[in-house]
Amino acid sequence: MMRGTLHYALLATVTASLLAGCATPPPPQNQSYVTLLKSPDGTVGKVVVSGAKGEQVIDQERQAALLDGSQAPAPVDDAKFQRDFGEAVAARPTLPEHFTLYFESGGAQLTAASLAQLPSIVERAAQRTTSDVSVIGHSDTVGKAELNEALSLKRAQAVAELIKAKGLKVDALVVESHGERNLLVPTPDETPEPRNRRVEVTIR
Amino acid sequence: MTLRHIATCLLLAGSLSAWADEAPIGYVKTITGTATITTGKNKVPAQLGTPLFQGSQLKTGAKSSMGVTFKDDTVMSFGSDTELTVDEYLYAPSQGKLKLGSSLTKGSLNYVSGVIAKLQPEAVSVKTPTGTIGVRGTQFVVKVDDTAQ
Repeated sequence: MMRGTLHYALLATVTASLLAGCATPPPPQNQSYVTLLKSPDGTVGKVVVSGAKGEQVIDQERQAALLDGSQAPAPVDDAKFQRDFGEAVAARPTLPEHFTLYFESGGAQLTAASLAQLPSIVERAAQRTTSDVSVIGHSDTVGKAELNEALSLKRAQAVAELIKAKGLKVDALVVESHGERNLLVPTPDETPEPRNRRVEVTIR
Repeated sequence: MTLRHIATCLLLAGSLSAWADEAPIGYVKTITGTATITTGKNKVPAQLGTPLFQGSQLKTGAKSSMGVTFKDDTVMSFGSDTELTVDEYLYAPSQGKLKLGSSLTKGSLNYVSGVIAKLQPEAVSVKTPTGTIGVRGTQFVVKVDDTAQ
């Protein structure tokens, strides 16, 4: 009798798991796939997967597709996501931070408001365990292109010197000049535009 | 000599070194366990502040992870047993030269796209053994299971 009951119980368990298996086929254990996430700025972009078996577009958060392109995107459950991507997500560095500093016309003199921002740049960089900083100078379109190239380099160098003097500690500091080639606000030549007279500082 | 000094010296020595005309394209920002950066014949253990170059192969060991930030603000991080190569990296926005091509041969990757993807989405791709991912300005994670091939 005992044995019969055990058999019956076993049979029931096997049947139940078979049925469960049929209802939701377990995903293959070994698979290569991509999952779209919300971007740090809150938007959801798009990825396109092209493989030997087709092409898939994912444009919804937490949808996944096999890399061979064989299947339409489908949601990925939390446990699997954590198992496959937990380490990579946890290792994500602090995102870069940007500051834009503005200048008086024709020279490397910062506006008063921008000058007041310098201490916070130094402070933000210090909060990172490791940081590299780029300082990129720009000009508006007043004057010759070559002169603006030199002027925006002078602006970038002035900012670099000022933040170093305030105690900036970084692993690498890069100073560059884009002259009038990279306008924030597009203008015709010979147009004074305060928003284009700028230095962009990025802390990474 | 601190790490900071070494990195600065590397930068200063850039024009004299084997990477003659190549400046670093990014730096290691997070690390747990062991990882290496291999550029040409030069293989170094990854530490905070270790520079990356075009062509660098990034590799993490067992129970390890690593995060890197590129100079266009692209951010990548890797779980254990991962291999990614930066095949092509061009970032000169004022000259319209933009490209970020990488290959993930195994492991896991969290990718936050940067300025290159914003300015020229078709210039950004991640190749894997079974398919290629085109990036249209976003964050995603990808896993390549090399036992499945």
